[in-house]
Amino acid sequence: MAKISNSFVPKDTIIEELNPMTKILAVFSLGLGTLIFPNSWLGLIIIIGLFFVAYLAKTLKDFTKIMFGFGIPITVMLMFIQGCYSPKNVTIIAEFGFLQVGLEGVLYAFKIISTLLVFLGTFYIMNKTTYTGKLVAALTNSGLPPKAGYLVLASLNVVPQMQRRMEVIQEAQGARGVEIGGGIIARIKAYIPLLGPVVMSALTDAQERGMTLETRGFGITGVKQTSYVEVTQSNLDRILKAILILFFIIVVILTVLMKLNII
Amino acid sequence: MKIELRNMRYVYPTGDEALKGIDLLIEGIEPVAIIGQNGAGKTTLVKHFNGILRPTSGEVLINGENIQNCSTAQWSKEVGYIFQNPDDQLFLESVRKEFEFGPLQIGMSKEEIEERMKWVATLVGLSDKLDIHPFDLTSTEKKFCSIGAIIMMNPNAMIFDEPTCGQDVDGNLRLRKIINELKERGKLCITISHDMKFVVDNFKRVIVMWKGKVLLDEKAENVFSQVETLKKSFVSPPPITKVAQGAGLRKTVFTTEAFIKVFEEQRMV
Amino acid sequence: MGKVVLEVKDFSFRYRQTKQKAIKNISFQVEEGSFFCIIGANGSGKSTLCNALVGLIPHYFVGKMSGEVFVNGMKVEDSTIADLSAKIGLVFQNPFNQLSYTAGTVAEELAYGLGNRGVSHEEMVKKVEYVAKLMRIDHVIHKNPLELSGGQIQRVALGSTFIMEPRVLVLDECTTQLDPLGSEEIFDIVKSLNQKGITVIMVDHEMERVARCADKIMVLDGGEIVAIDIPERIFETPDIVKHRIGVPDYVKICQSLREKGYTKREIEIAEEPTIELVKEALKG
Repeated sequence: MAKISNSFVPKDTIIEELNPMTKILAVFSLGLGTLIFPNSWLGLIIIIGLFFVAYLAKTLKDFTKIMFGFGIPITVMLMFIQGCYSPKNVTIIAEFGFLQVGLEGVLYAFKIISTLLVFLGTFYIMNKTTYTGKLVAALTNSGLPPKAGYLVLASLNVVPQMQRRMEVIQEAQGARGVEIGGGIIARIKAYIPLLGPVVMSALTDAQERGMTLETRGFGITGVKQTSYVEVTQSNLDRILKAILILFFIIVVILTVLMKLNII
Repeated sequence: MKIELRNMRYVYPTGDEALKGIDLLIEGIEPVAIIGQNGAGKTTLVKHFNGILRPTSGEVLINGENIQNCSTAQWSKEVGYIFQNPDDQLFLESVRKEFEFGPLQIGMSKEEIEERMKWVATLVGLSDKLDIHPFDLTSTEKKFCSIGAIIMMNPNAMIFDEPTCGQDVDGNLRLRKIINELKERGKLCITISHDMKFVVDNFKRVIVMWKGKVLLDEKAENVFSQVETLKKSFVSPPPITKVAQGAGLRKTVFTTEAFIKVFEEQRMV
Repeated sequence: MGKVVLEVKDFSFRYRQTKQKAIKNISFQVEEGSFFCIIGANGSGKSTLCNALVGLIPHYFVGKMSGEVFVNGMKVEDSTIADLSAKIGLVFQNPFNQLSYTAGTVAEELAYGLGNRGVSHEEMVKKVEYVAKLMRIDHVIHKNPLELSGGQIQRVALGSTFIMEPRVLVLDECTTQLDPLGSEEIFDIVKSLNQKGITVIMVDHEMERVARCADKIMVLDGGEIVAIDIPERIFETPDIVKHRIGVPDYVKICQSLREKGYTKREIEIAEEPTIELVKEALKG
C-alpha cells in the first residue's frame, strides 16, 4: 500500500517548538515590512536572516533549493521585463545592442523579488516546521470558528485518499476497455468515464462522513472546542512576538519618515 | 483459457514486495477460488491477469502470450475484472448504457450487443431495471450491474473480487447461478473471497495465499483438511467442516447431506 | 425483564426520495446490558432502523416519520445527535468513511469527539489512553490512521464512538468489509464491552456469529418485524427461511440428526455444543 506523505516531518528544533501563531505573525510582519519599505535592502537582509533560520530548523538544503529554484528564474524574468521595458526607466545603466537597461526598472524588480522571496521563505519555513493539527489547534484557540478549522484540516487530509480512489477508478475503467494512455485527445476522452464515479463516490462518501461527524458532536454550539494537540506559548514566543511587532512599527515609522524626505 | 505465471514477483513503488515468486497454472473452465488474509497478495495477484499491474520480474502469460504485449483495455476482451466496489466502475445514466459501454469499446456489433443484453439482464436480475439510473439501484443491484457490464463484453475469463461482500442469501444464490452459467458457456471464473461457505459451495479448486506466496493450491477437500497449515494463514474452514473435524468425522465435508452420509458410515462401523 | 434501555413505539419512516416506507409501524424494546441482533435480507430496513436509533433519523436524513424512539428515556426526536452520542453510538460498514479527516494520528482521531464537547486536555489524554487499550490500538496511537489496515481503522472508528461514553452501541454490519481475522478482533472487543454492561445492537449477515452472540434476535422483512425471540427458537422455526435469511450450519446438523433419529436433544447454536452432540450421537 502507498504510504501517506505528510509535508511535516518532526525534527526537534527550536523553530518547531514555537507557537504556530508566532510563525504566522512572522510571515506577516516580515513580509508586509518588506513590502512597504521603500527600497530592497531590508528584504535582502531578511532573506539572509531566513537562511540562518532555515539552518536552525534543519531544513537548509530544501530551503535553499526552493529559494534559488524560484528566485533565479523570477529574477531573470523580472529583470528583463522591468529593466528593459519599465516606463519609469530614465537612467540607462547598460546597453546590449538594441536593448537598454534602466536603473529604475532594475531597482523596482529587486523590490518585487525581495518581497516575494520573503513571503515565500517565511511561509515555507512555517509550513515545514508546523504540524497541521497544531496550526489548527492554535488558530481555534485564538478564536477561529471550529468549522473553518475543520475545513482546513479535512481538505488537506482527504486528498491522499481521493488520489487512491482515483487510481482504483482508473484501473476499473481500463478493465472495461477504456484506453488510459495515448495522445492528449485519447487521454481527455479516457478521463470522462472517470468523472462520474469520482463524483458519485464523493457524494456517497460525503454522506457517510457527515453522519460520522454528526455523531461525534460536530454540530455542538456554545462550547469552546478543545484539542488533543497541545499548543503552548513559551517565553521565547512572547519575546519573538514583541520583537516582530516592534520591528513592524519601526519599519512603518522609517518608511513614513523616508517618504517625507526627513531622512 | 490458460493463465500461466512463472516465478512472478511484484514490488510496489514503495519497495514493499507484495508477491514473492509465484508459479501458477490455471487452465480450462473449472472455477477457482483464491482465499487468504488481507494483505496476503490476493488482489495484487489477480490484477496481473489482465495487466492492471505488470510483474516486476518473471512472466505472466495469457493463452501463451506475454501480458506485457497489450494494454489493459486490450486484455479486457479476454479477461473481465469486476472490482469490489461497484461505485468505482459505474458512471453512465442507465443500466442499459452501462451494459453497452464495454462491448462498444471493444467493437462488438449492435446485433450481438442486443442479443447478449437479454441474457445478461436476466442472469443478473436487472431485466426490468434497464432504464434506471445506476445511482438509484440498491447496493446489491449495483454490484450485479457491474457484473453484468463485464459479462456483456464476453470475456473468456472473469475475475471477481469479493463478490459476496454485503450480499444476502438471495444475492449469494444469484452469484452461484452466474458462476454455473458462465462455466456452462465455457468461461473461466476466478474469485477472491473471505466467505468460506460460498467458496466450498461453488469452487472445486482453492488457492490459499499467505504473505505474497501460494501456500496451498489443491482441491477444496484437501485444502480444508489441512487445519494446521490453514491456521498459519488465518483461514478457518466453514462451520460445518469444523464441526465434522471436531467430532472426529474422517472425511472433509461441506454440506449437511455429506455430513450425514459420513456420519452414518462411521456410526455403522 | 430488566431495565429497558431502548424503546421503539409504532415507528414508521419513509425516505423523501422513495415511495415505499423503509420501516412500517414497528415496536420493540431492548433490555439494558443485552446483546440484541437484527437480521433480515438486504432492503428489509435494518440500516434505516439503526439510523433512527442514534438520531440520524430524523435529524440528518429527511423523510416522513411517525412514532417514537426513546434511548434511556430520552426522546430521540427532541434531542440533538450530539446529545444522543452520550447515550448511543453507531459504527457502520465502511471504515474509511468513519474517520473525521481532521487527525494526523490515531490519538487525535479518538479525541476528536471529546474536543467538540470541550473536554479538558488532561481528561482527553486519559480517556484516549484507556480506549486505545480497550480497542487494542495502543501500539499504533501515534500513526496516521490512513496507514492502518481496514480492521485497525474500524477499531479506531469503534473507539472514537465508544469514547463518547454511550451505554448502547449500534453496529450496522461493521465487519462486512473486513477479513475474518479483522472481524473476529472486532467481535472480541464488542463482546468484552457487552460483558462490561454495554448494550449491543448488532446487524450482521453471518448467522453462526449472530446465533453465538445474541441474547435475542429480531427478524425484519420488508420493514416489518416478523419475529423477536431467543436464537434457538428463531432458527428452529421452519418458516424462517421464507424471510430470505440463512440458518446456521449448527442448526442444520442438529436438525438432520434429529430427523433421522440419531439424537433426541434440542438444537444447538454454537460450535462446541454441536460437536459434543455429534460425538454423543456417533456413539449411539
